[in-house]
Amino acid sequence: MSAVKRAQQWATFARTWHIFDCKWQDPYESANVIKKYLMGLHKPIYHPMNDCGDVVVCINSREIALRGDEWRQRAYFHHTGYPGGATWTLAWELHNKDPTMIIKKAVYRAMKGNLQRRHTMERLFIYPGEVIPEEVKQNITNQIRQIRLVPTRLDHIPEEEVQKYPKVMDYPEDYVLK
Amino acid sequence: MSNSNLFLKSGFVRAPLQNGVGRYVCQLQRIVLKFCKSHGGSRGLRDFIEQDLVDFASNNPGVVVYLKPRRHRSPVVVAEYLNGDRVWMNMHNKTHSEITKWIEVLRTQQGDIASTRLRKYQYTDYPSVQGPWTPFTFKDPKLNVAELPNEEFGANNRLPMSATEQLRIMFEKQTLDVKPQEE
Repeated sequence: MSAVKRAQQWATFARTWHIFDCKWQDPYESANVIKKYLMGLHKPIYHPMNDCGDVVVCINSREIALRGDEWRQRAYFHHTGYPGGATWTLAWELHNKDPTMIIKKAVYRAMKGNLQRRHTMERLFIYPGEVIPEEVKQNITNQIRQIRLVPTRLDHIPEEEVQKYPKVMDYPEDYVLK
Repeated sequence: MSNSNLFLKSGFVRAPLQNGVGRYVCQLQRIVLKFCKSHGGSRGLRDFIEQDLVDFASNNPGVVVYLKPRRHRSPVVVAEYLNGDRVWMNMHNKTHSEITKWIEVLRTQQGDIASTRLRKYQYTDYPSVQGPWTPFTFKDPKLNVAELPNEEFGANNRLPMSATEQLRIMFEKQTLDVKPQEE
């Protein structure tokens, strides 16, 4: 193999590090996206027998958004193996204990249960906030697009812009806002 | 690939084009016909030996033919090839015409083709004309200098425009149209 071909081979099979911002994202929807990058399904060279999965770094996992009242409705089951060892933890409880756990379990569940799954999960890094270790951050070369648009809160928009925004009508002077 | 194929020799599809372009080299080197002189299972092979074997040997001077009579055992043909492959084939209860065809197959094939697992059903010496894919093909060059995470690359850019946004743009257009008239 010539030097050029060796470099070509190295370039084709190099692992890319992707970053994904979980802010305001549904973990179960975004798990299907993250899964594709973790397994390498987005590459034209994909084959189940070649090791072409990428690394995904998830940030802001504390800020995920569950649908409806799923924070109260969804329960995570765990069994210690001993009699009476079953526990059901609600999503909000689990999220308070470990803010990375829900997204981790969602990605784990999105993948097919085979021997490769645990090794693929090793390539997923989840951070609850925006802070990433420097040695992880310097590898990142791509960002995965979010699924949902992150809404901006009215009190986070500067006052000037709010004033400039076109209005259909002004409230009358004596109008009482609730 | 299933587990039962783990020990199967693997290879790629290939066209035997080289052989026969200048001169043909018969890849079959040696063929051993093992048979029983009395059993009915060897009937077809015995017929083949009686009627066709001398012609076969004289037509293929490059092939060494051995006959191995053995009592009360089923007939077998073993072919050995130039590349070292050895093909064992059971001929029990096969008729004369079947055996003629199978031996023709053994004579003309290049090594042990039937017992290789094809890794792919297509093969080319030139996999790509435009250069193989790398993670950086078709990527936005802006990503090279961008500080990630970045809102520009992270936000979904395929969502349809919202009604609010559409109204805002219509309003801006209106104000642009109105302004020159005032001046």
